Amino acid sequence: MIEVQDLSKNYKTFTAVDHLSFSVGVGEIYGLLGPNGVGKTTTLRMLATLLQPSQGTALVAGYDIRKEPLEVRRNLGIVNGGMQVYERLTGREVLQFFASFYGVEGKLFEERLEWVTHLLRMDDVLGKLVREMSTGMRQKTVIARAILHQPPVLLLDEATAGLDVFARRALLDFIAQYKALGKSLVYSTHVMSEAEEVCDRVGFINAGKLVYEGSKSEALAMGKGNLERAFIRRLEVA
Amino acid sequence: MSAVVRIYLKEMLSVLRERRVIFTTLVLPILLMPILMYGPLLFFGNAARQTEAKVQKVGVQDMPEAAVLFLRQAKVEPVPTSSPESDVREQRYQAAVRFQDGIFTIYGRLSGATQSSLVVSKLETALRGYKDSLVAQTLRARGLSPQILEPVGIRTQDASRVQERAAGIFAFLIPYFLVIFILNGGQAVAIDSTAGEKEKGTLEALLAAPVPLVQIVIGKALATLSVALAAALAGVVGILLGGTVVRGSFAGLLQGQGANIGGGLSLEPWAYGALLLTSVLFAALMVSIQLSLGVYARSYKEAQSFMAPLLLVFIIPLLMLQFSDFLTQQAWFYLIPAFNVMLLLDGLVKGSAEGWQVTLTWISTLVYAALALGLAVRSFRREDVVFRN
Repeated sequence: MIEVQDLSKNYKTFTAVDHLSFSVGVGEIYGLLGPNGVGKTTTLRMLATLLQPSQGTALVAGYDIRKEPLEVRRNLGIVNGGMQVYERLTGREVLQFFASFYGVEGKLFEERLEWVTHLLRMDDVLGKLVREMSTGMRQKTVIARAILHQPPVLLLDEATAGLDVFARRALLDFIAQYKALGKSLVYSTHVMSEAEEVCDRVGFINAGKLVYEGSKSEALAMGKGNLERAFIRRLEVA
Repeated sequence: MSAVVRIYLKEMLSVLRERRVIFTTLVLPILLMPILMYGPLLFFGNAARQTEAKVQKVGVQDMPEAAVLFLRQAKVEPVPTSSPESDVREQRYQAAVRFQDGIFTIYGRLSGATQSSLVVSKLETALRGYKDSLVAQTLRARGLSPQILEPVGIRTQDASRVQERAAGIFAFLIPYFLVIFILNGGQAVAIDSTAGEKEKGTLEALLAAPVPLVQIVIGKALATLSVALAAALAGVVGILLGGTVVRGSFAGLLQGQGANIGGGLSLEPWAYGALLLTSVLFAALMVSIQLSLGVYARSYKEAQSFMAPLLLVFIIPLLMLQFSDFLTQQAWFYLIPAFNVMLLLDGLVKGSAEGWQVTLTWISTLVYAALALGLAVRSFRREDVVFRN
């Protein structure tokens, strides 16, 4: 579902992403793991066609991020920790606004709204103005906004940042449920324990380079049952 | 429904739900403009009327008895003093007068609109009357008529256009406030939909939607344009309504003072249309520039600091409009961005705008607006701008 091929992003004085290649299959959660500032967000922004790669490319749902950006966007959803929704709109208005760009309107919108409301348990969110919502409610709205068009690919970038324990739990539960629908997810985080819970395969990224890639069980074995230890060990070896 | 319309409606809904923006851009101009424009004039007019009606004490030194009578008739009460100048300086009297070597010297505090200057006027009128009576007496004593002092009459006639005469102070104020309100009204929305979205983290989600960038920028520009024009309209309505209300409510106060408070628009229908179209084109240009600046800024505050100088840049040519009559107008003036609009608005309100001026201004402003919109789209496309935070 995602094929990243030799992807690089160079700025004037440094390389943010350095010849990255990995793939994510259908119904798979791929963990892109590493500390802050190593190129995870830049990679996801390139996949979402928000940034132009300096080199290499990627196929998302069969579409080239360089050549078919609008098609790529139609087939993915993106959630990051810093993302918010419009403060002066209600939850329903936010969802209606974004869904309309994907052709999800009228009866189809109502159906999807019912689906997402049930999936994220967000009945109490729809009629509220975003500025009156709690952090958890806002995060649910952000996720609902990203999946209302049921994209085959979902990118999550530090999606649990700033969430309380309940909202974080709800998000991790949702990720498992969304995967069960046969969707592909890239889960980018520096919190290894979250990756241990939700990911099928992981890639360790450092200084823009992919320094390790394997199944979660292989990575856990390398770290003696702990992904964080595996990551540090891998860096020491490198 | 196209993406442009959806984005436009979303932005407008956001604006309409923000009472602060509605109040400052739409309500405040209607309330404030009459007070700003007519308040000082009414206050001064009232003060002048009271000064005229009441009797003020004035210091006098060595005044001839006959002149004192003239002063009393002019409703001032002469009080003898030996230091008229310092008395006025230290505000013991509003004015004073000294007679020495055949010359009356009137003392007053004359900087700005002071009550003292009004009392000085009373003294001047009274002493002029005294002088005229002396001249008449002397002439009559020699068997001459005082009429010989005025062998010819001099009359001044206002030959300006009907529109210019009707506009009065509006001839300057309408273009001035149209430009200011367009800039000010658009600013809040432009910042909110660019730097504000960046700061709140909503812009990235919008840019990740399958919508061509041009449509996003046009949707935002249209919303900003609507609010800018609504603000300008509110300002002009405030001026016009305020003028009507003030003239109606305070007719008594204004009567007899020769004060032409405010003015009124007396234009041909096409000129109203031309005013509107000129404003729309200018707003389109400004809105695109504001969006470019807004998206470049990291935060709402930074965007405000970028846009504040923009207002200052336009105030200088706006102030120069007062002296537009001294300019020898040339065709290339009507190609200078923004200044051409100000000149044309001035001409339209005065009824002096010519076809070539209208054509040059509209075409050039349309081109500038298109270029500015292109710049805004380019700014939104630049990664180093959109992700500059």
